[in-house]
Amino acid sequence: MLENIFKWVTVGGNRVFLLKDINLTVKEGEFLSIMGPSGSGKSTLLNVIGMLDGFNEGQYTFLSHAVQQLKEKQRSQLYKQHVGFVFQAYHLIDELTVYENIETPLLYQDIKTSERKAMVGDMLDKFNIVGKKDLFPTQLSGGQQQLVGIARALITKPRLLLADEPTGNLNSKQGEEIMELFYTLNREEGMTIIQVTHAEKNAAYGSRTVHLLDARIEKNG
Amino acid sequence: MRFRKERSYGLINLLGLSIGIASAMLILLWVEDEINFDNTYTKKELLYAVRENQTYDGKVRTFDNTPGPFAAAVKAEIPGVVNSCRTAFRRGILFSAGEKAIYERGCYTDSSFFSMFTISFLEGSAKDAFKQLNGVVISDAMAKRFFGEEKNVVGKTLKVDNSRDVVVTGVIKEPVENSTLQFEWLAPFEVFSAVSPWVNDWGNNSIDTYVELAPTASPVAIDKQLAGFIGKKSGSTGTQAFLFAMKDWHLRDEFTDGKQTGGQEEYVQLFAIVAGIILLIACINFMNLATARSEKRAKEVGVRKVLGAGRKRLAFQFIGEALLLSALAVVAGVLLLVLVLPAFNALVGKQLQVGWSNPIHFATLAGIALLCGLVAGSYPAFYLSSFNPVTVFKSQQSKTGSAVWIRKGLVVVQFSISIILIVSTVVVYQQVQYVKNRNIGYNKENLLDIDVRGDMLNNFGAIKQELLNSRLIENVALSSYETINIGNNSTNHNWQGKDPSKSVLISNRMVSPEFISTLGMHIVKGRDFRVDTPADSSTILITESLERIMGKDSAVGKTIAFKGNNYQVVGIVQDFIYGDMYNKSDPVVFFYAPAATKYFYVRMKTGANPEEALAQIQSVWKKYNPAYPFVYRFVNDAFNRRFKSEMLIEKLSQVFAALAIIISCLGLFGLAAYTAERRTKEIGVRKVLGASVNSLAGLLSAEFLQLVIFSCILAFPVAWWVMSRWLQGYNYHTSIRWHVFVAAGICALIIAVFTVSFQAIKTAMASPIKSLRTE
Repeated sequence: MLENIFKWVTVGGNRVFLLKDINLTVKEGEFLSIMGPSGSGKSTLLNVIGMLDGFNEGQYTFLSHAVQQLKEKQRSQLYKQHVGFVFQAYHLIDELTVYENIETPLLYQDIKTSERKAMVGDMLDKFNIVGKKDLFPTQLSGGQQQLVGIARALITKPRLLLADEPTGNLNSKQGEEIMELFYTLNREEGMTIIQVTHAEKNAAYGSRTVHLLDARIEKNG
Repeated sequence: MRFRKERSYGLINLLGLSIGIASAMLILLWVEDEINFDNTYTKKELLYAVRENQTYDGKVRTFDNTPGPFAAAVKAEIPGVVNSCRTAFRRGILFSAGEKAIYERGCYTDSSFFSMFTISFLEGSAKDAFKQLNGVVISDAMAKRFFGEEKNVVGKTLKVDNSRDVVVTGVIKEPVENSTLQFEWLAPFEVFSAVSPWVNDWGNNSIDTYVELAPTASPVAIDKQLAGFIGKKSGSTGTQAFLFAMKDWHLRDEFTDGKQTGGQEEYVQLFAIVAGIILLIACINFMNLATARSEKRAKEVGVRKVLGAGRKRLAFQFIGEALLLSALAVVAGVLLLVLVLPAFNALVGKQLQVGWSNPIHFATLAGIALLCGLVAGSYPAFYLSSFNPVTVFKSQQSKTGSAVWIRKGLVVVQFSISIILIVSTVVVYQQVQYVKNRNIGYNKENLLDIDVRGDMLNNFGAIKQELLNSRLIENVALSSYETINIGNNSTNHNWQGKDPSKSVLISNRMVSPEFISTLGMHIVKGRDFRVDTPADSSTILITESLERIMGKDSAVGKTIAFKGNNYQVVGIVQDFIYGDMYNKSDPVVFFYAPAATKYFYVRMKTGANPEEALAQIQSVWKKYNPAYPFVYRFVNDAFNRRFKSEMLIEKLSQVFAALAIIISCLGLFGLAAYTAERRTKEIGVRKVLGASVNSLAGLLSAEFLQLVIFSCILAFPVAWWVMSRWLQGYNYHTSIRWHVFVAAGICALIIAVFTVSFQAIKTAMASPIKSLRTE
């Protein structure tokens, strides 16, 4: 739940607002789409929700934690456990194989090797990419890379999945597949998903859409 | 932002290269000074010192001294020798004029000295200088000390040793610092031989002889004639004279078994190589940073290629950039050089100058700029210009496998060199300490050595009593020679059962009876001399090594005949080290003969304030010797001076090891910064996935630490090999212990961690949002 969130930067003595008086409540199990033109603050809002970025004013409650009061370490602990990120440009680590990419978040949660193996194995199964586990990201198509990206985001069993234009770099067929996947995740597993998107078509997969314009929520519907 | 980043790369490059160039130039100045030793003599190629190889017990030893009559005889009898002179150098003769009294070093010599060494006279002339026996030629510096700015010094009178007057007959320039012969005054040799009649004897070797050959003469042929020359005159066939060329005086003055084996030259060569290595390290930085940045410049190359630039043209562009930077670095390097030269001079004890007017220096600088530019620019130019524009544009990040490997290889080279230098520095230090801490057979701490002057010998009893009364002085004694020097030696000692076929070289020391106890030497058998017992003047003390030569049983009670007198051995002294500090010293005989001594030893009490003790000695000195300035030496200092060249190597290797490491670290720093930047995206991703700052910093550092560890593995055997060889050159040497390697490795690692982790932590702390934003 976000209340009266303001975020700004000061350029040449003037405040430029990145987010202005954002009030937004997302319930568990929702599939929210954030839309809006370029520069309207969509990605910034997503980063704030994901606790990658701070804000200057307002209150943000995440799973009954008051985020603005948390220390850096606690905040990172919180998102490490509960939030998964999917990026437009996939942001896989080129030097690591598919398997290792998916495994990476588990390394940072101090999970035992055997356990990690099982978890990654399950994930590879679920996404039908067992055969590709030893390939490097550059050897995959965009759609496959994004699939790995989502698998990596889900490996820690987060309660919230954040996706910043997950289909932006994909062709329409690949994009549809990804959106279908999100839809299934939301419907069948009750995963809370917040995605930023340009396309009405993608927003239609969600249960609710928020429109941003000039750092404000224009339509909360 | 981008511009600033590029600029900081440029600065790191420039700084590394200019430090490298400045240090290379320092070394080259030092090398130049060493090579140019004795270059002021126009007859350098024709001048020779005469040395002697003497054979004792099958071993050949080389000495500087020759018999007094040698010089005249060799000129008269050996064709090709056009000139010769005898010299007797004296360290400190007291000169006085009015209130001023100063000890000055100088030399008694023949007037041929002037033409041989092409001495130019500022006042007076070579022709008239030694016409009168009481004439003296002094340096301009000495003239200034006595007569200030006054001109027309010729004709002025100076008093020598408070006893006789001499007249200045000429003023000459003081010898420049990098010449072997150093003197402030020159006086006729006859003055010296009149009071030292033994120098006219063929059997006495105490005079330095110099000869000048005709330009056509062959030194090899003359050496052949010299070999038996002294033997014919003196009858001692074991002595062979030979020529020692002036060009070898400074750099190749070591002899082993009668053969010239080198000397300082090895160090000069070594440091010339070090200069090259430091430049190379600096160039490596340049190459590494340039290729590392290449991924950024790949786009520029691609665009230029698309616009029609040929590969050659691009290569020229990059080499041109490198040359420009190295020219800038040379300028910065010269500025640095000017800044640090005084400190460097203090360190090496020289007065090196930048030499702005020397065209060779400018040529060298230009050469360095060109070389660095080409070396540093060649690989990046070759590498960058080879980019294919299509692949460059396609993939954001070009695969740069070979460049990465070469970069890593170069870092390994840098760190290997640095580690070798660290190990070498430590081993050199340990060796110097090892020799300095060698048990030399007496206690050299708190021990003063003072020249006997004036009436001191007659007043010795009173001086001794007054000093002992002061409670600051433990004991005093007299000796004919400084304890660390060889002094007088001969083979004319005889004893019952001596093998007549063997000649044993034995040092003679005339001492006062307090000597052994004052110096802290150890009597191992028998007794010491008895103080105030003139009857002991027919007794002697000998060292253990002589006792062994004299037979199996104790030598106490045996008799040794020397110069027609019989002496009874009353005590055996533990061997002590003198002469060559790395070798065993010859046997010594101590005679009870205080009247024949020249050095006054004072043992201060341990814990006594040296300044108070010195003041005390000075006041006693003033009382009994008012006409002579009080000058003293600490035996410990004299001992340390024996290791001058080793200590110089020690200091130089420390400085240059440090510089090599600094330059390597600059490179590593730049590379780490670059790598961190290249991996920003990855770091961002990992951070979002929950990586902590620590694990990220570790990830970034690990890559470099592997390189450093690999460098250690490479460097250790090399360092071990080099330093073992160096130590082999010393008879008395330490061994290389494994701690040195561990310490050097840890040291390199710590320095590398420190350098790299700064960048790593900075990157790991950065917010991931920026790096993950999709453009």
